[in-house]
Amino acid sequence: MRNMDTSFIERFLIVLTLYNLLVTAAISLYGIVARPSITKKIISLTILGDSLNVLAILIGFRVFSVPPVLLKLDANPDELLNLAYSAVDPLPQALVLTAIVIGLAVNLFLIFLALQVYRLYGTLDSRKIKELRG
Amino acid sequence: MRKYIVLLSIVLTTSVLAYITTYLEAIGLVGLDTRYLAKLFLTLAYNPLARELTVLSPEAVTSIVWDFRGIDTFYETVVFYMAIIAALAIYRGVGYPSIRSEKGLSIIVKVVTKLLIPINIAIAVSVAAHGHLTPGGGFQAGAALAVISVLLAVVFSASSFARVGVSLSKAIALRTVGLLAIAAVVFVPVVFNALTGVQAYLMQNYVKVDSEFAFPTHIQSQLISGTLIWFNLAEFLAVSFGFFVVFMLLSLREDVVREQLGEEHGH
Repeated sequence: MRNMDTSFIERFLIVLTLYNLLVTAAISLYGIVARPSITKKIISLTILGDSLNVLAILIGFRVFSVPPVLLKLDANPDELLNLAYSAVDPLPQALVLTAIVIGLAVNLFLIFLALQVYRLYGTLDSRKIKELRG
Repeated sequence: MRKYIVLLSIVLTTSVLAYITTYLEAIGLVGLDTRYLAKLFLTLAYNPLARELTVLSPEAVTSIVWDFRGIDTFYETVVFYMAIIAALAIYRGVGYPSIRSEKGLSIIVKVVTKLLIPINIAIAVSVAAHGHLTPGGGFQAGAALAVISVLLAVVFSASSFARVGVSLSKAIALRTVGLLAIAAVVFVPVVFNALTGVQAYLMQNYVKVDSEFAFPTHIQSQLISGTLIWFNLAEFLAVSFGFFVVFMLLSLREDVVREQLGEEHGH
């Protein structure tokens, strides 16, 4: 077993990463709400999704850890317990894994919608599209 | 100038907040311990001693994706399926054009891509088939294979899909085959129950407390982890050809699409 004490700088860097992800999510939310261009809204949405995925992974992260994969099939109970006490949390990884593919599919669908909007209205500026609808 | 002030203030605020949080130890021992649930998943993913609880897959993430939280994954596969159906609905009536003489990128890029595509296929199949043993699985392998569709469209032009034998209807059919295969694996225990009368549950993978039904866990002493390998391979088909459909539609030339969608689409 390795030493489980973390230094101040290590803890600071983890907390800084956490805050940075939240700030990235906040900026991308601003992009979704405030930018008039649909393209930029979609880009902001992908950034929001990715930063929240990394946040979920960070929640399952632990400092001194191994991947959640058992390396030998004839492991005895001690080795199984050792894995449980040294591996990262696999649940956020499993959820993020599916979330990435779903996010990609939804983003592709939004891109199709944006393309169609451009074909019908000739612009991707949401203010102009609003005027044109009337 | 205003941009830099905003940037600087954001960086400063995050750093100061992070410093204060660390100094006060407000978040506690970040990243030192995992939850009880995680330990449970890790000990039960491959554990021949806990016969009624284990998945028999040494890869904990795949065990969670396709067994412990299998219904989540089915639901997310449905979302994926519906997103692509919606994309297809927007492009309804648009056919893929017959082969045109489009040039694509230079010969160097083409040759390098031709060398890369077989390697890409090999990696994708390997990632899917080893999903229950090593990090990877159907989703990742599907995304890896979908890269080929982008490479074909960008490097060789959109008409190259017809030349390598992939058409829109074929891709849709293969994607549906993948989804039907997932459904088939889900319903095998129920059919088995109806035929033999042995207790078996929907989506069952390995033996349960009151059910001795189990998918074969080994093929010639190779571990296949019951349903996991079949789910991974089926999901691989569904995801990769789902992305193929989408990227094929996106790589269509705009004038071709407008021509086929009709008058009102040309503004």
